[in-house]
Amino acid sequence: MTERKLTIALAGNANVGKSVIFNQLTGLHQHIGNWPGKTVERAEGTLHFKGYTIDIIDLPGIYSLSTFSIEELVSREYIAVERPDLVINIVDASLLERNLFFTLQLMELETPMIMALNQMDMAKKKGIDIDAEKLEKILGIPVIPTVAVKGIGVFELLERAVETIEKGGKTKPTEVRYGEEVEERIIKIAEMVKGIQFKHTYPARYVAIKLLEGDEEIEREVNSIDPQIVFTAKKLATEIEEIHGHSCLTVVTSERYEIAGCIAREVQKLAPPIKPPIGERLHTLTTHKILGYPTMIIALLSMFYSIFTFGDYTSGLLSDFFYGWEPVFRSVLGAGIVGELIWGGVMEGFIAGVTIALPYIVPFYLILYVLEDSGYLSRIAFLMDTLMHKIGLHGKAFIPTMLAYGCNVPACLGCRIMETQRERLLAAFVVTMVPCAATTVVILGLVGAFVGFQWALALYVIDLLIIFLLGRVAFKALPGEPTALIMEMHDYRAPHLETIVKQTWFRLEEFIKVAFPLIIVGSLVIKLIEILNLLKPIANILSPVTVAWLGLPAVTGITLIFGVLRKELTLIMLAALLGTTDFTRVLTPVQMIVFALVTMLYIPCIATIAALAKEFGWKKALFITVFKIIFAIIVGGLTLRLLMLAKIW
Amino acid sequence: MERRRGVERAELPLTALRDGESGIITSIKAGRGRGGGGRGWGFKKRLMDMGLTPGTRITVVRSAPFRGPLEVSVRGSRLALGRGMAERIFVEIKG
Repeated sequence: MTERKLTIALAGNANVGKSVIFNQLTGLHQHIGNWPGKTVERAEGTLHFKGYTIDIIDLPGIYSLSTFSIEELVSREYIAVERPDLVINIVDASLLERNLFFTLQLMELETPMIMALNQMDMAKKKGIDIDAEKLEKILGIPVIPTVAVKGIGVFELLERAVETIEKGGKTKPTEVRYGEEVEERIIKIAEMVKGIQFKHTYPARYVAIKLLEGDEEIEREVNSIDPQIVFTAKKLATEIEEIHGHSCLTVVTSERYEIAGCIAREVQKLAPPIKPPIGERLHTLTTHKILGYPTMIIALLSMFYSIFTFGDYTSGLLSDFFYGWEPVFRSVLGAGIVGELIWGGVMEGFIAGVTIALPYIVPFYLILYVLEDSGYLSRIAFLMDTLMHKIGLHGKAFIPTMLAYGCNVPACLGCRIMETQRERLLAAFVVTMVPCAATTVVILGLVGAFVGFQWALALYVIDLLIIFLLGRVAFKALPGEPTALIMEMHDYRAPHLETIVKQTWFRLEEFIKVAFPLIIVGSLVIKLIEILNLLKPIANILSPVTVAWLGLPAVTGITLIFGVLRKELTLIMLAALLGTTDFTRVLTPVQMIVFALVTMLYIPCIATIAALAKEFGWKKALFITVFKIIFAIIVGGLTLRLLMLAKIW
Repeated sequence: MERRRGVERAELPLTALRDGESGIITSIKAGRGRGGGGRGWGFKKRLMDMGLTPGTRITVVRSAPFRGPLEVSVRGSRLALGRGMAERIFVEIKG
């Protein structure tokens, strides 16, 4: 007998412990991808239970089922169109009222559902005691109290879920009833909607409510079938507006919150909080007008310091290990072109990838998730909002920007935390201008070591100015308005390590998939060029730019090509081609500065281009790349002329 | 259009409140016509979805320096609101 297949979707607000429950349920049988055609992440996993193969879909964390964001639209369409066998609504017990507001909307979609009343322990600490049985009776759906981080209630949740589906999934939730004026109009519209054939299987009552709210998607769809209904709904909405003195959307939303509030008050008993004040004190410190900033700087510096120390050490070890195999490879493959291509192309590319991914990216993600899950990242965004606003972004964009100083690749992928596509692109553009760890190696190794530390620092300042300036230009040039910060700062909590490790693992997988193929192919292509003796001719072709305009030796053309693979290769190759590591003998201080500046600005490395292409498509990725090349050449040439005029050396 | 009963009462933008003060939300002036689908409309909806509906008590817990965002407490949750957004939320202080 074949196993029966079931589909269960997890839905709920952000920060309610959804991903923890998802991980508890699915373990490592997960697949993270995107929703078709959307840049919204789709996490899917499978588990086997009582003879069923259960597919679990983790819907994005949202507050409503309207069309405000892509996440909301994706979730709504998934529930209404794909019709999972069951929706598990995950609710933060310590914020019952707001979570119930979302629950009520799920109920309006008339989908079979049960509720996981999660974070019961945190609610208790806050002095909130919830009568789950009473809540179950009022809502008409099974309610299971859980503490997911400790695994409490998760098994029961699964049991009740399967049980509910076996009973036919008809949990018939209690109907959400609005105030009289609204209710009678909903019924009127719903009657009209019942008469039409709908492409989507939205319930008539739901369509009626959304029409009153002025939901564009639903309006458009109904309009294409029967414009009369939309016309009537608009008229009725105006009537409600006249009665209440607020827009109909406001009235419906307020009344829904009213219902949520009533239910919450009925099922919860409040006692004075027994929560230890540590979390509160930490919150006060980390958002403090004055103390918040040094705290943040110390936290971030120690984070970077530990990552770079660990990364540097591990990267060296891995590098030694892999290069230790070089003689073995060489002797097996022989000295021919094939051997050269396989070792010098494929293997070198692979090593380059591994020595970045494991030592730098893994700890980066681990720490990032700890900061995020504990709640600190939202406090950093709170403090940095004003600064980021100058370039048309809000506080959350500081997070990928900060990441970029380590590596641009995860930073580009991290731009997903922004709400709109426009801001994601803007943030990614800014991110690619941040000097990553490899660029730092070049700046410090060349300018810092041979010209002077203050000049290295000056390059960073110039870069910040450029980021600021270009960020502002891009922000003005991109159509659309800036988004204001609306962000929840959930209470500090201990991060769930298992979930964090798993998330890091899946991110690493993603990085490997995105970056490795291009690094290896790129490395192979360059090796091929080298074998075919094309490096010199290419350097000559580039010489009008490198020699005439930038005032650099012709060989820099070659090194800049290698730098596409990994930026620190520009320096390594420069030393190899010039035959010395004492750069003062072959380059003037001005040349070093110009070279470092161009390296810093000229191109996102190949892995970053891959990440950009994955997030925004090849067209935008190539546009950013070409723009940066031209921009770097212009700035480099101008800097050369300015420095010549200044006659410092 | 917002219709007001009786005499105008003192309406203040949320940003006029000092740290620790609270008020009752009267309106959010971010809309550019109903259902126009403009960004203002979207954000007003987002705020309401997060619980900032008219008649709700909202407390300004603290504001970030350099005209930064406000930390507010509403329906038991803690939110950070950009200042530009907060300027369009109007509240009434009951004595």
